[in-house]
Amino acid sequence: MNFKRTNAIYLSLALLLLLSFSCKDPDEIKPAFNKGTLLTNVANTIIAPAFNDFESDLSSLEASFIALKTSPNQANLDAVKADWKAAYIQWQLVKIFDFGPLRDNGFKGATGTYPTDSNQVNSNILNGGYNLGSIDNTDAIGFSALDFLLYRTNALADFSSNPNYTQYASDLIQKMKTEFALVNGQWINYKPTFIAATGTETTSAFSLLVNEFNRDYELTKNAKLGIPIGVQSLGIQLPEYIEARNSGLSLELLQESMRALRIVYLGNNPNSGQGFYDYLVHLERSTLAVEIDTKFSQIINNIEAFNGTLEEEMGSNVNGLEELYYLIQEQVVNIKTDMTSAFGVLITYQDNDGD
Amino acid sequence: MFLGTVRFISKGWVQQLYIDPSYYFGYLGFEWVKPLEGQLMYIPFILLLISALCIIVGLFYRASALTFSLCFTYIELLDKSNYLNHYYFVSLMALIMLFLPANRNFSFDAKIWPKIKSITTKQWTVSLIKFQLAMVYIFAGIAKVNSDWLIQANPLKIWLQAHHNIPLVGSLMQEDWLAYTFSWAGCIYDLFIVFFLLSNRCRPIAYLFVVFFHLATWYLFPIGVFPWVMIFSTLIFFSAQFHERVLDFFSRKTWRENPVKPKRLSSLRKKQTRYLLTLYIIIQLLLPFRYVLYPGDLFWNEEGFRFSWRVMLMHKEGHATFYMVDPKTGRESEINNSKFLTRTQEDQMATQPDMILQYAQILKNYHHGKTFHYGDQKITVENPEIRAKIYVSLNGRPAQLFVDKKHDLTKLNYNLYHRTWLEPFKK
Repeated sequence: MNFKRTNAIYLSLALLLLLSFSCKDPDEIKPAFNKGTLLTNVANTIIAPAFNDFESDLSSLEASFIALKTSPNQANLDAVKADWKAAYIQWQLVKIFDFGPLRDNGFKGATGTYPTDSNQVNSNILNGGYNLGSIDNTDAIGFSALDFLLYRTNALADFSSNPNYTQYASDLIQKMKTEFALVNGQWINYKPTFIAATGTETTSAFSLLVNEFNRDYELTKNAKLGIPIGVQSLGIQLPEYIEARNSGLSLELLQESMRALRIVYLGNNPNSGQGFYDYLVHLERSTLAVEIDTKFSQIINNIEAFNGTLEEEMGSNVNGLEELYYLIQEQVVNIKTDMTSAFGVLITYQDNDGD
Repeated sequence: MFLGTVRFISKGWVQQLYIDPSYYFGYLGFEWVKPLEGQLMYIPFILLLISALCIIVGLFYRASALTFSLCFTYIELLDKSNYLNHYYFVSLMALIMLFLPANRNFSFDAKIWPKIKSITTKQWTVSLIKFQLAMVYIFAGIAKVNSDWLIQANPLKIWLQAHHNIPLVGSLMQEDWLAYTFSWAGCIYDLFIVFFLLSNRCRPIAYLFVVFFHLATWYLFPIGVFPWVMIFSTLIFFSAQFHERVLDFFSRKTWRENPVKPKRLSSLRKKQTRYLLTLYIIIQLLLPFRYVLYPGDLFWNEEGFRFSWRVMLMHKEGHATFYMVDPKTGRESEINNSKFLTRTQEDQMATQPDMILQYAQILKNYHHGKTFHYGDQKITVENPEIRAKIYVSLNGRPAQLFVDKKHDLTKLNYNLYHRTWLEPFKK
């Protein structure tokens, strides 16, 4: 036994010696990084303000809609449209955080599903007695259904003379407002759990954040652009799949969605807050960190160059849209493969039983 | 294993892995193994539970061991997306146990049929289990002797830094030297632990190492029940006297009574046993080395990777975009993978060449002969080409092209030959 023990000691000494040779200079210290700080930063400077803003946007929408209901005129309708648009744009940031209370309440699906099934909407208005929470009505609620109701050519006439039509729009707004108030209330209780969950298991907040970030990116790529321009349909365009088709807001929503993703990536502010960018720099992957940020800027600028709505551009500028699509697609490998593998996070929603 | 199965069912994995998916990735030669319809899929799991319980208490041992072995192996053969080395280990152990007389004492069987009672067992039975464990450790150790593991300390560097928030030792996790220490220690441990376990003098200390090592991996990595399986399995290395003392401690020391002299086996049976054993041992020794038959990088190409005890060895992340091309019009559609595969299947498929080809066949069969209506256009697709652009990141390197879009994957055969259609790996 003694003999073995001394052997073991020699062996470990030799190992240590070997290691100390391979160690780098001590002055090459990495910038401090902590996932807890990142999560705190994201929770406090991105999620909480975004949720609060979104809640107040929905309140404004509710208020302006009451004004429209009382006196249906063009000015009041325009005010509703403006509030709807502001809330829809804020939603692009909120929708990334589809975990915790947002996920538990199924809010993302109930709010951001498109395209709208206009037949279902019309039949609900005509027949009344609808249950907006039922699965049949998933395509008849949320921002997209409001896009249909607010931007139809005879919308004002309907708001003036058809109380069922007005009631339906009102119910849609009420549903979003009430449900999000619940989500935001629960978020305050969930926040400490979120910040503390820094582990690597798939259910930890950090994994959720990375996973949802990627999922939202891919969904944005496919649903907001790829599917309408025909990427999944043998190159045949599908204008009926355009998001917010009546208002023509689609490209703006795509751009806002990319901006929102970039905000999360940078941790709100590139100079102060910690985000994925800072984590990559810490892991000595600065090239990748910068490349992702540059690509986000390119995408946002590229969208800026389009003057028409998505539907108009699909008629006149197919090549431009295809180029945009490939630009957005190039980023997927950066964030989904390179970034997550550097973080040591598994892209999966399933807990697993080992290797 | 009873607890493992309970865990598996309680986590809802039966539903997730064997009922929800629309398609399954079978093993070459075993594609005919299909899951049962819907909720019926719970039946093999319930059988597993019952047979595991029976094995523990030693009731109807042979039948239970057979049931367990069949059910477990059946479930594993269904979908290789769920392949884990320790499931393979359990399958093998179940197979071995089928031939072992593990019901000769402390069992209901021995109470019911006292004739079979025996307090001794043949040396080969214990040795075979030791051999199997040795295979796991030593091959896991050999697999670690590669430059990523020893020189780069990857993937451990990636995995460990992700733990920088655990209490007390968290800050150490970001240190390179720790990753190197763990890599080298893990490698040396795997290579030599069996020899220390075999030596009488070192066994107690070696076993402490075993417990410590597996507890550490259990704490740091998502590897489920594997550490516990190994901690308890390695007890086989302790002497019979040791186990008897433990048993004495728990029972009323009456188990040694009425020993029946073990029957001598006929020389034919002996011969058969010897041949079977030799064959099994040769297969186990050679299988993990089959990768030398393939050129190129093993981790990149994954030719000869499974069934070789390459445990927690690499971190591979991939992104696969598939295209269905209509040969008549040259038009193409990007495939939404989530329409066909579960998330786990998609992740596994994106980095594993054989699954990529299987998926291409799934896509071809789905699209062939289908008529697609888009707006007022109608296109019928016959014999579509399936192409893919796949990027893979290995052990934290920047992603590289893995599969180029130039190949029609439906024209490639799924077999054991070297795959020339993969892009070469650049270090």
